[in-house]
Amino acid sequence: MFIPGTVFNVISRSVSTSTVCNQIIKLTRLRVVDNSEIGKAAMMEGKPPRCIHVYNKTGVGYIGDRVLVAIKGEKKKGILVGLKQRQNPKVPRFDSNNIVLIDDSGTPLGTRIHVPIPHILRTIMRRNTHSKGADYTKLLAIATKFV
Amino acid sequence: MNQAKIEKLVSRLRYNVGSKPRKLKNVDGPEGRLRKIKKTLTAVIKYERIELNYARADETRGYVERLISEALRHGPEHGETMELANFWIKEKQLVHKLFKVLVPRYQNYTTSFTKLHNAPCIYPGYAYKRAILELKGNIYPTVEQSNPHQHNLLHNILLDAARKEYRMEKYKEIAANMNF
Amino acid sequence: MTMVSRLWCRKARQNLAFAKVLGKEPKTFSTLVQLKTDEATDNNNDSQAQTNDELIKSPSLGNYRLVYPEFLPDPNPLYRNSIREKLERMDMLNRRSVLSIPEFYVGSILAVTYSDPHAVGKINKFVGICILREGCGLRSSFLLRNVVNGEGVEVRYDLYDPAIQNIDCLRLEKRLDDELLYLRDAPLEYSTFPFDMEIEAKISESVPVNDIKIPLNPLPWSQRWERLNLKGVKEIVVNERRQKKAAALAKPWEKYDLMKTYRETIPEEEQNEIFSDVYTKLNELEIQKNILKRKYMLQRQNSSKTRTS
Repeated sequence: MFIPGTVFNVISRSVSTSTVCNQIIKLTRLRVVDNSEIGKAAMMEGKPPRCIHVYNKTGVGYIGDRVLVAIKGEKKKGILVGLKQRQNPKVPRFDSNNIVLIDDSGTPLGTRIHVPIPHILRTIMRRNTHSKGADYTKLLAIATKFV
Repeated sequence: MNQAKIEKLVSRLRYNVGSKPRKLKNVDGPEGRLRKIKKTLTAVIKYERIELNYARADETRGYVERLISEALRHGPEHGETMELANFWIKEKQLVHKLFKVLVPRYQNYTTSFTKLHNAPCIYPGYAYKRAILELKGNIYPTVEQSNPHQHNLLHNILLDAARKEYRMEKYKEIAANMNF
Repeated sequence: MTMVSRLWCRKARQNLAFAKVLGKEPKTFSTLVQLKTDEATDNNNDSQAQTNDELIKSPSLGNYRLVYPEFLPDPNPLYRNSIREKLERMDMLNRRSVLSIPEFYVGSILAVTYSDPHAVGKINKFVGICILREGCGLRSSFLLRNVVNGEGVEVRYDLYDPAIQNIDCLRLEKRLDDELLYLRDAPLEYSTFPFDMEIEAKISESVPVNDIKIPLNPLPWSQRWERLNLKGVKEIVVNERRQKKAAALAKPWEKYDLMKTYRETIPEEEQNEIFSDVYTKLNELEIQKNILKRKYMLQRQNSSKTRTS
């Protein structure tokens, strides 16, 4: 069966051919877990955002790290709030790689997070917040459940 | 640090078990390795003493010991042990030998059931180390040759003492017969 | 160093006392063959039969390897060190005398309360099914899984972590497999357990085996489950290519590899040495645990009676 190139390109966008990689690196697909408009729309369409940059020096994202994601043709920032990879003892591991979208000042785009958030994120967010920079602790205020 | 497997309970083997299994080079990989060991194990149970390359002998030794210890532990009524014996022993009548001859023989043993001797490499020949693997309590004469000229053997000590005494007597005699 | 030697002396004295007891009753170590002969002799002697019954009721050392697997060291001789193992065992007993660690298996449901510096009240609790037990000695750990707000969550705990305040076994049972990691690819309802679950009131002789068969989600999976020969999973459907690959990679001869099983296990004589080392202390702790458990059950019965009246 012949499939025209453009149609094939469109189909292949929704089919993932890359192998499963539990590490958060560039082009990892993430899951938006807050109720922001853009995040909800992207997840409903079945086009989860991809990480296009990790804001640390190693390029590998761990829990609490800031990432830049490509979502519905836009660039947004997000914070990793739950990872699939193996964690330290007493730190929960989740079934999906979760992010919460934020803007440049650290304010979440949504008003609610509908999955549990690890307790350790409180400490990490407080550590990352500086008096004059962005305030990431607002993210903790919209969480519904901590584990 | 891994947890030890706990479903199966095994008896301790009474010889120094190597930390890693040998690969016993062959084209079929681990399956072929077991097939090689199977042949040797059947031969050991059949002939009770065989000469072969050292590596294969040492590798087979563990399997022979384990099979006998399993047979001792569970007896012929135990299904799994019977399956093991059927797998490892290629000739059917030797399964009977295992349970009816070897198990009673090793019932009260406190040492290992097999013995491994170093064998000489006959020149000219292959340079591989040779060995003799035997089941203990077999009917053959012993492989080990004791050296009758060892100094610490009792008869040699006694002979040495007698010789010395004789020499001392002789010296005394010579001294008495001397005329200055 | 002197402290250690002094402690050892005390331990050694205790062990000697235990060894005397063992000398009188060699049946605790009996293998299958010996048990048969024991039964035959017991028919003649009533008093002896009584003692044998007591032995069966009390947890024999053969049972200990299933209840306390972390007391057995790593069988790899590269990692063996008798002094370290002994010291670790002493530390484990000391920890167990402070914190009562219940008997649990893979498939049991546990509740762990632990102090968490990141939590609000500095105390956190997690409930979940134990899907993995690994490691030995002080490094032994277990993995709990639960579903919270529709999201699968797994937390790994070290068994002898000083931050753990309490471990409760809410439901004591086994499953058909040694690891339940396939719950990650199963429907969420199979790993969902309420956080306010109560301890199930069951005092049975043997640990029940839950022979539930779990269906898996459609592909993709986190592992190739068709290759692992799982017992607790409903028939696994994969395409022909994967079936062929699984068949090619199967190792049916591995169960016959006698030396492989030997190198993966600790021999019985060695196990007896290890457990006779810790037997007296563990037995004491077990008796205390049983008393506490009975008290708890009585309290709950009384409270339920008052509620109904």
